[in-house]
Amino acid sequence: MTLTGTIPLLRTRSYGSLLSGTGWFAAVVTLVVVLLSVLAPVLAPYDPDFVDLSSVLGGPSGAHWLGTDALGRDLFSRLMYGGRTSLMGPLIVVAASTVLGMLLGLATGWTDGWMSRILNRIFDLLFAFPALLLSMLAIAIFGKGLMAPILAMTISYVPYVARLTQQLVVAERARPYVQAYRVLGFRTPWVVLGRVMPNLVPTIGAQSTLNFGYVLADLAALSFIGLGIQPPTSDWGAMIEEARGALLGGHVLPGLLPALVVVLIVVSINVIGEELSDRIGGKLS
Amino acid sequence: MSKLLEIEQFSLHFPGRGALLSDVSLHVDDGEAVALVGESGSGKSLTTRAALGLFPEFSRLSGSVKVRGLDTTSAPAAKLLELRRNHASMIFQDPRAGINPVRTVGDFLTETLVRWRGLSREEAYARAVTQLDQVGLRRTKDLMRQYPHQLSGGMLQRVMIAGALLDSPELLLCDEPTTALDVTTQAGIVELLREQQQARGMGMLFITHDLNLAASLCDRVYVLRKGEVVEHGGAREVFMSPHADYTRQLVGATPRIEIDKVPAAPAADGTVPLLAVKRLCKRYELPSGEELTALNDATFSLAPGGSLGVVGESGSGKSTLARMIVALETADEGELAINGRVRAPRPLRAAERKLLAKDVQIVFQDPYLSLDPRIVVGKAVADVFRLHQGQGRAEAVKSAEKLLERVGIGPERFDSKPRALSGGQRQRVAIAKALAARPKLLVLDEATSALDVSVQAQVLELVEELREQLGLTLLFVTHDLAVVSRLCAELLVLQHGEIVEQGSTAKILSAPANAYTRMLIDSRPRALWEEQLA
Repeated sequence: MTLTGTIPLLRTRSYGSLLSGTGWFAAVVTLVVVLLSVLAPVLAPYDPDFVDLSSVLGGPSGAHWLGTDALGRDLFSRLMYGGRTSLMGPLIVVAASTVLGMLLGLATGWTDGWMSRILNRIFDLLFAFPALLLSMLAIAIFGKGLMAPILAMTISYVPYVARLTQQLVVAERARPYVQAYRVLGFRTPWVVLGRVMPNLVPTIGAQSTLNFGYVLADLAALSFIGLGIQPPTSDWGAMIEEARGALLGGHVLPGLLPALVVVLIVVSINVIGEELSDRIGGKLS
Repeated sequence: MSKLLEIEQFSLHFPGRGALLSDVSLHVDDGEAVALVGESGSGKSLTTRAALGLFPEFSRLSGSVKVRGLDTTSAPAAKLLELRRNHASMIFQDPRAGINPVRTVGDFLTETLVRWRGLSREEAYARAVTQLDQVGLRRTKDLMRQYPHQLSGGMLQRVMIAGALLDSPELLLCDEPTTALDVTTQAGIVELLREQQQARGMGMLFITHDLNLAASLCDRVYVLRKGEVVEHGGAREVFMSPHADYTRQLVGATPRIEIDKVPAAPAADGTVPLLAVKRLCKRYELPSGEELTALNDATFSLAPGGSLGVVGESGSGKSTLARMIVALETADEGELAINGRVRAPRPLRAAERKLLAKDVQIVFQDPYLSLDPRIVVGKAVADVFRLHQGQGRAEAVKSAEKLLERVGIGPERFDSKPRALSGGQRQRVAIAKALAARPKLLVLDEATSALDVSVQAQVLELVEELREQLGLTLLFVTHDLAVVSRLCAELLVLQHGEIVEQGSTAKILSAPANAYTRMLIDSRPRALWEEQLA
């Protein structure tokens, strides 16, 4: 018996698992962070906004597992509550941009009329503006807070989803099964929304997962420069900003912890997104 | 000298898939042409690749595969490299997949000569040009500067053959080298291979699923089924008096032109033709701005209950015609009437399309792409019943299941997605889907050409049955004259978008009036022994 070398002739596919070991680890990390955030009111040991000037900038202890910040607020509780705002923003942006982008992509991909052409030029225009810049513009107009950046981010992520959908639709439209639907006399909206769109959802979903990470980082950055979530509401980006003073005084944890959480969750979600789009994209082509 | 290729009791196990080859023994001597015949999944390609020491990753091997005494199952990489460079060459099915698209033909041919044989660029160039001449290509100096996309499939396959012959191999492995080509092109390539093989005294192992082709080229034949050699012997003996059941079945399923079995046309009784086409034209604008006439001035009609074969090679406009009939394309000029209703010369509205669907349906070539991957087959067919027969959900499901059983799909498959079905089963589902609209005319666009011969025979039988029982009118678009002779009373031959001959199938096949038709008929591979008789 001989074991063979390395020229793959038969495609070796792993059928059972959608993610690799790393991917599953990332999924677990994401799940833990999400659960801790969602369940913050139940699980958090302290009120995140409770100021306790008697224990300012205390290190980790039995009472405060991760220590306290410059106002004596419990860092662990603030991180948990911070997740609620920090994750909610990207969630709204991703959900809205996915739905809108997919519908626009289906419409512009399916038809070649003047509407499609105009929309396509608008997409091109939006591609030219970084999401962060657009958000600052929106904040300048509508004022600080969560709404303006969410709106701006949604608008700037719609073209990405729409372009992807468009490419997929153009390829899908030429497939014999779609043509068979046409010949069979099914109405176009039924075919597009009922039959073609569900076939694209996995690929677009994978892309949106990736977008989630980017949006989260961007929104955290806006909060960090003071344009996003306003104090005292806990938010990871805002927490890093608030910790600047403490950092100069040699206290690392209040700034480091929220930064670590942001990195952890963005990396995890990107890993999941990359793997999903690799597998699903590979399967479709 | 040791034997050229000797495979002894060779088995290949793949984890999770079991034995892909078991106890395969075959040999090829110097100067001998041997065919390895089998259907998809039989292990033909695996066997051939084994001769070059190419094995799927993680597979377990036993037995031996010796080329000139070198056992490729255990030889070190350096020896294998030497084998591939000096003793054996391979030609693949799809020449376009085997050549770097961004480099010129000249680069492709001279690269190995300069790299491995130590020739100077000028010497290599001269060798390559001579070789291109030898494989029957003209204007070879221009050719050296051209890119693969500028050549036709047949020319490119000749380039690939030239590349394989440059190494002066003793063993030439051909993996379905003509399957992707038109019949007339195939005839040229087969002729070239035979000529080169004989002139050079090469050993050749020729893989094919086409028995006729094997018989036209090879002295000895091995029949492979599910990784086992079920029969081997002289080509004539194997095909004329097969021993194994499988070989017999394969020989029986291989389409032949049988003029006495051509179906009869319905009596002409002056009824309105079901399909009437008058001076139909379709042109496409090429990216270069030039115009391509895909179909020019086509006029014909098809009576209810009739059957028309449309034959031609790729680019002849036969698919364009089929697509225009089902309104996937709009004609530029001319008139198309189905069931007496003249088609408006514009893309159809939804209501018109629905009405048309009850008159004409189409079955496409590729069974892997023509079904929605996400929808289980029972639902796919039921959807059509709901749309066209106005049936409720439960009733539609019942109708769908009845129809699926009628086309040979058992109840255990109703909840399967297309992925879980074989090619033949998918094509049956596609036929059921089309029939659920209860069309009068069924267009089959190369509907069986992607299937194995035995599966093709079963699907053709089904189509024949359905035609008789439902009184369907058929329009069969194909490149295969044998398929037409079995199913179609009338025949229409297309070349470069023009109808060059039309009339009764039996008449055209027995006495073609047009030179191109004659060439199509003559290009069909003929067994070596038939040629010797003739």
